[in-house]
Amino acid sequence: MTQAKKIIASGLSEAEAIVRAKGGDTAAFEGLYGLHKRRVYSLCLRMTGNTAEAEDLTQEAFLQLYRKIATFRGESAFSTWLHRLAVNVVLMHLRKKGLPEVSLDEALEPQHEDGPKKDIGARDNVLAGSIDRVNLERAIESLPPGYRIIFVLHDVEGYEHNEIAEMMGCSIGNSKSQLHKARMKLRDLLKLSRAEKATRR
Amino acid sequence: MKKLGAAILGGILLAGPALAMAAESARQTRLAIVPGGSVNVVNRYGSVTLHPGSPHQLVVNATTHSDKVEVDANSVPDGKRIDIRTHALPQQRPTSSESSVDYDIAIPSGVSVTITTATAPITVDNIGGDLSLSSDTGLVTVKNAVNTHLEVRGVAAPVVLSDVTGQVEVTSSGGNVQLTHVSGPRVRISTTSGNITYHGDFSTGGSYLLSTHSGNIDVTLPEKASVDLSAQSLKGSVENDYPLQAKSHMTFVPDEGRSFAGTSNSGSSSVELESFSGRIRVKKQ
Amino acid sequence: MNCTQFQEVLPHIIESGGNADQETHLKTCRECGDLVRDLRYIADQARLLLPMRDPNPRVWNNIQQSLAREGLVPEGRMSRPGHILKNSSPQKKNWTPLGLAVAAIAVLALAVLLVNYHSTNSTTQKNLAAPAADQSATTASNAEDQMLISQISQQDADVAKAYQTSLEEVNSYISDAQKAVVDDPADSAAQQHLQDAFQQKAMLYQMATARTLE
Repeated sequence: MTQAKKIIASGLSEAEAIVRAKGGDTAAFEGLYGLHKRRVYSLCLRMTGNTAEAEDLTQEAFLQLYRKIATFRGESAFSTWLHRLAVNVVLMHLRKKGLPEVSLDEALEPQHEDGPKKDIGARDNVLAGSIDRVNLERAIESLPPGYRIIFVLHDVEGYEHNEIAEMMGCSIGNSKSQLHKARMKLRDLLKLSRAEKATRR
Repeated sequence: MKKLGAAILGGILLAGPALAMAAESARQTRLAIVPGGSVNVVNRYGSVTLHPGSPHQLVVNATTHSDKVEVDANSVPDGKRIDIRTHALPQQRPTSSESSVDYDIAIPSGVSVTITTATAPITVDNIGGDLSLSSDTGLVTVKNAVNTHLEVRGVAAPVVLSDVTGQVEVTSSGGNVQLTHVSGPRVRISTTSGNITYHGDFSTGGSYLLSTHSGNIDVTLPEKASVDLSAQSLKGSVENDYPLQAKSHMTFVPDEGRSFAGTSNSGSSSVELESFSGRIRVKKQ
Repeated sequence: MNCTQFQEVLPHIIESGGNADQETHLKTCRECGDLVRDLRYIADQARLLLPMRDPNPRVWNNIQQSLAREGLVPEGRMSRPGHILKNSSPQKKNWTPLGLAVAAIAVLALAVLLVNYHSTNSTTQKNLAAPAADQSATTASNAEDQMLISQISQQDADVAKAYQTSLEEVNSYISDAQKAVVDDPADSAAQQHLQDAFQQKAMLYQMATARTLE
């Protein structure tokens, strides 16, 4: 039995583990790792689309947790606080890599080359009811990084546009515009995937 | 943290393409609001002016002075709450003048209002109901507010109230507070160093407390005022030039130059003037 | 309204709803209707995505090794339960908005305690311990004041100066009122001033907290 399960099995609550981890109890810290590793790793993987990067970032997020846990004051849920910490770790990494900065002008000017979307054909071209989550995960992974980040933060992780704007250093309008583009791109990818499946049958 | 469900706040971004290039830009937005609803405005720099408008509708005229700031207006679908916020674009690092936005807002009656600014002056004219106004250093002016429940807070914000009735509470640490024809069942004015001046008759049988640490209190009231008035300055001075009848029951012993008390007419309103080390003067109008 | 115009504003209205023209177009245009339905469906499905899988166990091993390298944890200690280790890196006090709010409440609570303390203290015997207790509270309070001003000055230096002046004045108010109450614990006006002084200070902290939450 791992240390994490022992902590849970012994009836030690997350709150107690946090208090002990603040005092330097490494077993309690391992327990917290066990409780939250999946969520943090999934976030890192979805935002980066790369397993190796996601592992490195998960490691970095928990190292920062160990260093900063004494500053956690309980004003939000621990999972929220840790989640935010992990998002910041990922964003900082992506910035160092050269996160695609999106300007306000780009966000607001209409994309003339795209034109209005008109799907010629029958109503069975709509997506509703046809997406399975595996395909959606794959499609998210295929998104360009800038779109993927905002889509994951907003639609998957539930951050609001004003929070995303603050984290990304962009405007709210920009965040909305990029999210829209991400969803449009996903729509295209998912329809293509469905069409390919139909052809193979 | 995953927040399930659809967003409860719909966002309407006022800063559209029109703002991308222009230095100064004015834009109007209309938002539905129900009676009993609430409006929250947060704007650090610029100005905020509120006046009456048409029923069920908030009309927001916002003038920005740079393209480094945007106005974010959110309303809940049921029309019960509107939030208007100036949002400085962080990467642009706007200065305070570039961040400034001037709001002119027409608001229907029966809507409660909360306004927060840093240096932007707040002006509210002819609006009653619940008003909560907070400014670090911006001038706060409220006039013609009837049956209001008014709360004003300031760090060094000067406050000017005129023709206001209702429950009034003002706390301005360093700002001067000027009251003209302010009356109601409960009026509380408190400063640390700000001076307090009052012109009026302390009417409607209310309870009035004007208190300061080192500021001065100057009160001018008409001879017809009906007050039970006491004035105390622990380390400062008091001067009375208003006819008062001696009271039979006192909570303190009057001390020449430091405190006095008495009644005028039927003594229906209770008026307490307290300064720790400042000067208190009561004069007849 | 045509499809181009509708799809231009779609990013900004898809969650909040549009004006009458936009809603009419949405109801009457099949292509735009399908588009909006698809986009909302994608968003709904995304919301249901669960955390995917656990990281490779080597992640935990790497964490242990990193902490050991930094000297925060001796190597091999991570898997031994029950040992309390002091975190050697000093924790910098970081004022969060809640921290400021807690300070505001503490200021007010201190006011109540001091007022009650002084009002029950006999006038015939001044408690020499009281000034010492007040001084330590004042010292702690000054440190918190400086942190508050430092936090505000990161946003606006001029406003921070206003807070600084007001805090100095209100601390002077507290000090004066405390002396007055010590001199005459039965003086209700002095007690009221002490309470007002602390309330003024709590208000400053509350306003500062609200700033940081904007």
